[in-house]
Amino acid sequence: MSDGFARRDFLKVVGAGSAGAAVAGCATEKVERLIPYVTPPEEITPGVATWYASTCGECAGGCGIRVRTREGRAVMIEGNPDHPVSRGGVCSRGVSALQALYDPDRVAAPMRSGPNGFEEITWDEALDILVDRLGTGGRSLFLTGRKGPTEGGFLDSFVDAVGGRRVIHDALDDSALRRATDIAFGVNALPRYDIAAADFLVSFGADFLDTWLSPVSFAADFAGMHGVDHGAKGKFVFVGPRLSLTGQNADEWIPARAGSEARIALAVAGELVRRGADAGPYTELAAGHGLEEAAEAAGVEADALVALADQFEAGTALALGPGAAGHHQTATAANLAVLILNAAAGSLGRTMHIDDAPDAEASSYAEVADAIREMSGGVYGVAVVAGTNPAYSLPPASGFRDAFALAPFKVAFATALDETSVMADLVLPDAHPLESWADAIPAPGTYSVRQPAMRPVPAYDSRPMSDVLLEAGRQLGHDFGAPSFHDYLRGAHDAWLALNGEAAGLAGDPSARWRELLRTGSVSYTDLTPKIAALQAPTTAVDFRLPRLSGDGDLTLLVHPSPRFGDGAHANRPWLLELPDPVSKVMWHSWAEMNPATAERLGLRSGDVVSITSANGTVEVPVWAYPGIREDVVALAMGGGHTDYGRFANGNGVNPMELLPEATDAVSGTLALVSTRVTVTATGAWRRLTSTEGSSDQDDRNVTPAVALSALGHAAEDAHDAEDAHDQIRELQEGGGFRPVATEGLAEDFPLPGSDFGEYDREGPRWAMAIDLDKCTGCGACITACQAENNIPWVGEVQATMGREMHWMRLERYYETVDASHSGPVDIRFLPMLCQHCNNAPCEPVCPVFAAYHTPDGLNAQAYNRCVGTRYCANNCPYKVRVFNWYRYTRENIPEPMNWQFNPDVTVRDNGVMEKCTFCVQRIREAGNRAAVEGRDVRDGEVRTACQSVCPADVIRFGNIRDHESQVAAAATDERAYRVLDAFINTQPAVHYLKKVTHHEVDDGGH
Amino acid sequence: MTTAELTQRGALPNPDVGKYEDVNRDVLKVLSRPGKGWWILFTMAAAGVGLFLTSWFYQIYKGIGVSGLNAPVGWGVYITTFVFWVGIAHSGTLISAILFLFRAPWRQAIYRASEAMTVFAVMTAGLFPLIHVGRVWHAYWLVPYPNSRFLWPNFRSPLVWDVFAITTYFTVSAVFFYLGTIPDLAAARDHARGLRKKFYQIISLGWRGTDREWHHFSKAYIYLAALATPLVLSVHSVVSWDFAMAIVPGWHTTIFAPYFVAGAIFSGVALVITLAVPMRKFFGLEDYLTVKHFEAMAKLCMLTSAIVLYAYMTEYFLAWYSGEPPERGSFWNRVFGHYWWANWIMLTCNGLVPLMLWVRRVRRSIAALFVISIFINIGMWFERYVIIVTSLSHEYEPWAWGLYRPSVVEMGILIGSFAWFGFWFLLFTRLLPPVAIAEMKEVIPPPRRGRVKEDAA
Repeated sequence: MSDGFARRDFLKVVGAGSAGAAVAGCATEKVERLIPYVTPPEEITPGVATWYASTCGECAGGCGIRVRTREGRAVMIEGNPDHPVSRGGVCSRGVSALQALYDPDRVAAPMRSGPNGFEEITWDEALDILVDRLGTGGRSLFLTGRKGPTEGGFLDSFVDAVGGRRVIHDALDDSALRRATDIAFGVNALPRYDIAAADFLVSFGADFLDTWLSPVSFAADFAGMHGVDHGAKGKFVFVGPRLSLTGQNADEWIPARAGSEARIALAVAGELVRRGADAGPYTELAAGHGLEEAAEAAGVEADALVALADQFEAGTALALGPGAAGHHQTATAANLAVLILNAAAGSLGRTMHIDDAPDAEASSYAEVADAIREMSGGVYGVAVVAGTNPAYSLPPASGFRDAFALAPFKVAFATALDETSVMADLVLPDAHPLESWADAIPAPGTYSVRQPAMRPVPAYDSRPMSDVLLEAGRQLGHDFGAPSFHDYLRGAHDAWLALNGEAAGLAGDPSARWRELLRTGSVSYTDLTPKIAALQAPTTAVDFRLPRLSGDGDLTLLVHPSPRFGDGAHANRPWLLELPDPVSKVMWHSWAEMNPATAERLGLRSGDVVSITSANGTVEVPVWAYPGIREDVVALAMGGGHTDYGRFANGNGVNPMELLPEATDAVSGTLALVSTRVTVTATGAWRRLTSTEGSSDQDDRNVTPAVALSALGHAAEDAHDAEDAHDQIRELQEGGGFRPVATEGLAEDFPLPGSDFGEYDREGPRWAMAIDLDKCTGCGACITACQAENNIPWVGEVQATMGREMHWMRLERYYETVDASHSGPVDIRFLPMLCQHCNNAPCEPVCPVFAAYHTPDGLNAQAYNRCVGTRYCANNCPYKVRVFNWYRYTRENIPEPMNWQFNPDVTVRDNGVMEKCTFCVQRIREAGNRAAVEGRDVRDGEVRTACQSVCPADVIRFGNIRDHESQVAAAATDERAYRVLDAFINTQPAVHYLKKVTHHEVDDGGH
Repeated sequence: MTTAELTQRGALPNPDVGKYEDVNRDVLKVLSRPGKGWWILFTMAAAGVGLFLTSWFYQIYKGIGVSGLNAPVGWGVYITTFVFWVGIAHSGTLISAILFLFRAPWRQAIYRASEAMTVFAVMTAGLFPLIHVGRVWHAYWLVPYPNSRFLWPNFRSPLVWDVFAITTYFTVSAVFFYLGTIPDLAAARDHARGLRKKFYQIISLGWRGTDREWHHFSKAYIYLAALATPLVLSVHSVVSWDFAMAIVPGWHTTIFAPYFVAGAIFSGVALVITLAVPMRKFFGLEDYLTVKHFEAMAKLCMLTSAIVLYAYMTEYFLAWYSGEPPERGSFWNRVFGHYWWANWIMLTCNGLVPLMLWVRRVRRSIAALFVISIFINIGMWFERYVIIVTSLSHEYEPWAWGLYRPSVVEMGILIGSFAWFGFWFLLFTRLLPPVAIAEMKEVIPPPRRGRVKEDAA
């Protein structure tokens, strides 16, 4: 992929000069009007996009992004292929940052709370108040989210200077893992995993493809380890009570009881020890754990654990986790056990690395709880909250709200009001990450910078928090050596280079380095961090028993981060609200997952609204029956039930935190997410789930066939099957007097006989796509990217429930083998479905006005302005990828300034017309025009569709299939290639899929 | 034919009607000042038209989203009702043109009403494609008209064929209808007074009833009948191709054209019965619309019901026999899926209930026929609903299966369409002779020498 991208000479990623100047405020004019400029700014050519390399600020992963701006407005976020961590991928949350940037609920100006609610004040007044309070108000508590190293360091020194304490709160807390690493290796840091180097991967419930640590980077690694196109296909076993998106990608599932991770890991390690492995100071501990007992505790078969041990012994193994289900009251023990297992399996130094570099940006819930106690005790005169929302993301049982309310003066730095900042006395509008400077070290040896992609959105008078604090510090008499945070960051960069540049291989002019950094977004250097190579003796006593569960009821409550909303911080974005959850495919509202057997036992079916009650509270939520969850568990995703977040988030779903007691893991202080049992009772109500799922059973249509690994290589027979099917069709049609069009070929078949008129020729390109289902993880980033690129509106909960969502792309998910009752293979198939751009398209002949027609370069085009809206094309589309504008969704749903995000290259569709995937025709035309100007053909890989440009697993290939050297032609002739439904109805799609490869035997069923 | 033969075949009115002036008197009496009952019905119909137009304009204003349509079910109640009304429109022409050509004498008493029904049903049906499209203001793009951009409709699309089929059918049936009424309008003119007379004077085109006029009239009538006859078969065949030409499982089948034509005649005749029964009662036309007429229509229903039932069974058999999972799945879903009830309503109303017509006593009971005809009307509406909605809801891609529920607006338009139809039909009964006066006179015994002819007709 990076080869293709390296040639993208058009990609004018603007560097330091202009970007820096933009922030200094003298280059770009305010971007309220698009064009014309009387004197155009230097770096803006109307109609030509400007790209900025930056770092995503949506989670702690630190992925590299490229922000496409048009006429000074950010319109699209794509992955940065040059970034060593994310390697060209970005997730839905990353892309949707645009909707936070243009969020209509952003804070427009500094606000002071008065008797009648908030009143707007000027920045000068706000600064005066802030300086006064910080200077005279007593000790300050700074409760912040995780920040980059430089910003975090600055905040720490600021807090030191003004006198106070800084506590980091992140609901997706990884302190148990840090603490376990500290115990096992003596360093408070996260292990670094090299999934790509493993050939046997076990996840103890770690959702590394959706929420755990750095999902985009892990997805790329996993594609390398698990995709058969990289050579040998690794094997992935998921151990845990619920198949998350990550679990759905597993080859085998050991449906272990929540909380039994430590027992299984130790028992497998013990088995390895018994077979001669070494677990350092933990050898004896591990040897004391037997497989039988562990299997008993976990509620699984001992055979499965023996097989697990066999495979650990045989291959280059890696164990990850535990994840959400391991966040219980013995979480550190569970993490430690997995680290011990890795050590016993010889993974240390091969697939798992421990860097001797403590992470400064970390604290656990225990510290937050301590701060809450201090706040209630009146220790602090000023409480500052920034970039975190504890009033929402902590259980009410933590007492945060009451304590925060007691603070004498509360300050919130916020881009938009949330449940915490709405309680503040002073609200300061913070700049969005896409408008501000920061940095990240996503992995040792990688420094990644975040630069503003545009001037602050003019509707909101926001300022970056760091700049505000620098100014406040100046007024309080503290000098941090820089007038703005940009200079501070630059200074830190130069200082680091001066100190380490030589040794890290980054010698040379710091200014040139900085410019280059802004152009590429990140820099790789020689990592000098020493590595730890062996386990050390424990310094803390760790209890490996099963965790305690409080409460009555027979179902364990499993609260897990949402792949879409994380801890709920991303919940006010309509793109994400309407993105079907990768697991349940539910949009907008919350749901409770339970096994169909459990549901049946309770007399429930999907859609029945139940009340889930713990000792701490009750929520009412509809049930979704899911075969991928243990019968003794009910799962709720975080992120719903906002009350004061924004117009889109408020009132959608429930917040599962309301059910949790304030239970923590004693060793690390992390908040336990699996800590209570609940009772589930029907309310008698039923609601239609807002879901895209029609049926998760392929019903003999074989739309997503798979091939067993063992059958690969002699799959030529399958190709014959497909041909046979076509021959049969031909024979039948000839019997009916028709001469059917040729079917087997690819480019040769286009244009079809009969379309030889007009401009149809056999010379130009024929665009086609190939999607490798063996690597697709079903994350849905493509859907959000498509929505962002193509101005696709969201339709809202009511309309989506009616089945009117407008996505041009959807992710179908079919169950083949999912059984929670015992360990065994799991086979869930993903099928990204978009317009197939059929050579022989059923939609085209039925359109009465030629709105649906075929372009000479093989696109199935839709002329919106010609469409009358008969919807005949949609009826006749066997793939059901055409979507209709039932209302003026774009005009009615999208408020100012969210429409600033519209891609000017794509028509905004109005009421009553059909639309669908265009293969990003605007990008094809752009590349074609550029090639024409330069007098050459479009190069392979030059056109990248929006879905392709974010895919973390790099699943999609796009190009000219008539060019037999192209990547897409190579993929289309792969032995795994097939086309959906083609054998049934001879549609001859331009989209080729590569079959999923399974470790277990499957019925490959070529029709 | 002798009088005896005609009586035998049910062609004759009651023997009490012996004189031409009786026919004139009895039929033209209908055109006199309407009574209370008519006004009530007319007010209800007008209110229904109000509902119809309000719903439609609301939909145009808000967007087609006010319907319950969605993905995957892009066609629903509107197209169902469209096909329903097109089907209704068939029996009129069948009775007036085909039975005319075959010299079936029992048609004389009912053909005027059924022709009127045809014209109004096509007028109703023709609105539904407009109601249905997303951008009605661009619907004229389906018509091939010269334009500066050289844009033509896609002649491969069955929807364009529909435009031709429906407009042709409307034109021919309207002309045929009007032509047939001219002598009767002249009769009405001779009876009427004042403004009404003026009206009939204009629309009767100066008919005098001369030998020469009759000569031309009957030639024109027979040619138009010949022209209209193939349309009876072609229009509904074309409508059926809207479905059969698509690749949707449950639609894509060669049986559709004959199946739809039979269904159309079935539903059309049923509606003729439904309308003729009250009309006969209210206007005192018992002497003209006799049990024999109804029995003849009932026999037509028996035949077409059998054809339709056979078509259903053929569809099921071929779906199974094809071995194609989407095809089998589609029909399995029809019978046992979410919309099973619609399918069973269809089978009961169209297949089982009409079996009663095989009993002569039922065929000859006006009340029973009335009830059965209403069942058939319901069943035939559901037949189209089943074909359209269940097929679309359960196509190739299992993931994309979905459900559709009609909205209030769609129901308003559906009910309103009956009111719209009734509105025109009620006007017709008051403005045009609902029974063909001239043709009735052909089948009663000719007047004996010596009697004075009162009328020109």
